[in-house]
Amino acid sequence: MRRKAVALAAVALVMSLTAGCGSLQSSATEVGGERMTDDRPVRDGGTLTVALNADPDKLDPTLAQTLVGRTVFAGMCEKLYDIDEHGTVIPQLATALPKTSKDGRTVTFGLRKGLKFSDGTKLDAEAAVTSLLRHRDLAGSARATELAPLAGAKATGPYTVELTLKQAYVPLTAVLADRSGMVMSPTALKKYGKNFTNHPSCVGPFKYVERVGGDRIVLAKDPNYYAADQVHLDKVIYKPIPDGNVRLANLRSGDIQVGDQMTPVDVRSALTEPGLQLFNSPSLGYQGIGLNVGNVKGLGQKPGRIDTPLAREPKVREAFELAIDRDLINKVVFQGMFEPACGPVSPESAIAPGVKASVCPERDVAKAKRLLKEAGVKTPVRIELKVSTTPESSRLGQVVQAMTKEAGFAVTLRPTEYATMLEETDSGKYDAFTSGWSGRLDPDGNIASFLQTRGAMNAYGLSDPTIDRLVERGRTEADPDERAKIYAELTHRAQERRGLIYLYRQKNYIVTGKDVAGVRVYGDGLVRVTTAGYAR
Amino acid sequence: MTAYILTRLRQSCITLVLVSMVVFAGIRALPGDPALALAGEERSPEALAAVRESYGLDDNIVIQYGRFIGHAITGDLGTSSRTGLPVADAITAALPITLELAALSLLLAVTVGIGAGIVAAVRRGKPEEWLANALALLGLSIPTFWLGIVLVLGFAIALPVFSASGYVPFGTDPLDNLRRMVLPAIVLGSGLAAVVMRQTRAAMLDSLSADYVRTARAKGLSRREVIGGHALRNSLVTVVTVLGLQLGHLISGAVVTEQIFVLPGFGKLTIDAVFTRDYATLQGVVLCTSAAYILINLLVDVAYSVIDPRIRLGGAR
Repeated sequence: MRRKAVALAAVALVMSLTAGCGSLQSSATEVGGERMTDDRPVRDGGTLTVALNADPDKLDPTLAQTLVGRTVFAGMCEKLYDIDEHGTVIPQLATALPKTSKDGRTVTFGLRKGLKFSDGTKLDAEAAVTSLLRHRDLAGSARATELAPLAGAKATGPYTVELTLKQAYVPLTAVLADRSGMVMSPTALKKYGKNFTNHPSCVGPFKYVERVGGDRIVLAKDPNYYAADQVHLDKVIYKPIPDGNVRLANLRSGDIQVGDQMTPVDVRSALTEPGLQLFNSPSLGYQGIGLNVGNVKGLGQKPGRIDTPLAREPKVREAFELAIDRDLINKVVFQGMFEPACGPVSPESAIAPGVKASVCPERDVAKAKRLLKEAGVKTPVRIELKVSTTPESSRLGQVVQAMTKEAGFAVTLRPTEYATMLEETDSGKYDAFTSGWSGRLDPDGNIASFLQTRGAMNAYGLSDPTIDRLVERGRTEADPDERAKIYAELTHRAQERRGLIYLYRQKNYIVTGKDVAGVRVYGDGLVRVTTAGYAR
Repeated sequence: MTAYILTRLRQSCITLVLVSMVVFAGIRALPGDPALALAGEERSPEALAAVRESYGLDDNIVIQYGRFIGHAITGDLGTSSRTGLPVADAITAALPITLELAALSLLLAVTVGIGAGIVAAVRRGKPEEWLANALALLGLSIPTFWLGIVLVLGFAIALPVFSASGYVPFGTDPLDNLRRMVLPAIVLGSGLAAVVMRQTRAAMLDSLSADYVRTARAKGLSRREVIGGHALRNSLVTVVTVLGLQLGHLISGAVVTEQIFVLPGFGKLTIDAVFTRDYATLQGVVLCTSAAYILINLLVDVAYSVIDPRIRLGGAR
């Protein structure tokens, strides 16, 4: 009898443990699996606390620059366009996708009628024009570059807007599906000016209540919202908790209900917790190693000649890449939870969703050694690799160090804090650094600023007339098939030049309590809380 | 007396101005451009230039300092370059949290440390002393971050008695406030408690073997009177001195504790400001801390001079 009881207890224990793991693993955590929402019915009321991995910057769509800030905006500032779960652009405040004239230089779109900002002001075409021009012109605007092709904007009717462009600019729709497409209350803009950041007012499911720097941003359900009946929560609180361990501990204790941007290690720990569930989506960005091939005078200056084997000899760069095994990096550093990548365009990108833009070369140490010999360089080739100060970044550095050593490289790692790293790499004081980008919907947003000779973020000092020409063509080509070809060619060319060796693509992992439903996580990595709430 | 206080006040002001200069120059010597730190991954030259201009970062450092000090005198510490919120508001919001944390930790350190110290001294050579010593060693050697996470796992997750994070003002909900503050106070206070315990034990051992204690015993006083009334009272002088010296560590230790328990206090404010090169916030925070230290020193000096008039400046004349 006693033996039977022990056996039963053991079975129960094993079952409860596997049930805990299975609930998470079944749908989302298998590599390649995706889970963007939980469709269970939601009850009205309650407060949802979302933990962010950093404190957002200014809550002004024109000035804002951080990814976490975009997550907060997703709760309170709707845009002219949005993306859906397939990465397709859909209208949000606009009535339909924009109409573009034959020469690509006039774009018109209509706005939904009867919409109100959180301060009660009506949304009309004039409001949209005011916001667009502010995004383009305000001193310090982080939107100025992406709206630079905009020559003018005017209201041609109470709810129709006409934009004139300096040249055809295909990425515009994708740009309007991000912060440039956020429309701010003209009343609030007039009243607060640059101080709008402390009194933001947009059209959205929730309205701004208060912000305590470093602690929380509180939003409350907005009765003026056009679909207020679909909003279930009373309040959403965003809390910055930079440490992943602490974020996870708070999820476990129930102090927070949503953990944004969880690292693979934390997700693996979360798998053992029966009270938590996981959402994930592929990211639009990339991570890799930037190589200094010509940045001598700093960002935005004319690239020059650098006399290191890595910068001088394309064969050395090729050898460096061939020494790296992307699958192994993913397995060892990221628990197999990210995806190997070899180009700037994510398969999730709007241009060709689901299409793999590039094929990764296999690791080939023998060929790498041969290439180094052909290049006639003295081995080991010494390279200093700057890595950021996160545990994952240093693990990545160590793995790269070990792999490339076999081919004849001597990589030394220099952990560098974020702001210092930006300054040193932008000014060209480096050999190699871990470089990444959170990604944009349109491939242009992942390429132009980085790979063009005069690109604002071309810290690699890359200068290639073919790339420059293809970037320009990609921006103006309206035919999607033709565009896809251009970006395939661009990817190929970028791979050949190797200013940046693409290594992997992150995935957005969001962990929530099991009682939370209706949260949506799409390819742009933002946590959408419009339909979120507690499961009935 | 008034002349003495005025002189010390004048000296304090000069010290504060000198400190502000050092702080101002020191922060600017940090590597990493604040405009870059702010712009992060989206750093277009136009946006960077506009950020530099709007915060006057292109100006000469002397002009920047003059502007800063001019505003600071009127109580305006500027606005955070990152959030756009006034620095003075951030400091006013963060300060009470750190002060409460420090006070609770101090309370814990004093009660536990002195209690354990007395037990260890009185029960010398017994298991109680061994236990108290072992606890003190643990308190000194356990890394704060580790202890914090373990306490959260134990008392906020497995046994959900306390809360893992966040802050609720005492005035709003005293019970909830304590639920959130007890674990951080334990983490922050454990090291200090160990120091206090060791000091108390050593001082008590000295006192207990002193002649006056023997005399007290010979007079037939009860054990409680001998330990509490005689030995402890004399031992406390040393303990209080050590406590005073350790107070600074309590404030600096709060930096880590506040990160673990997501308390939006002074430490967290400072760390966030360093990583985002938020000059205005960092200057404000360091200036306020320096002012507090200078003020405490001033008060101590004045208190000393009240107790012992010989210390008064010019008193010898």
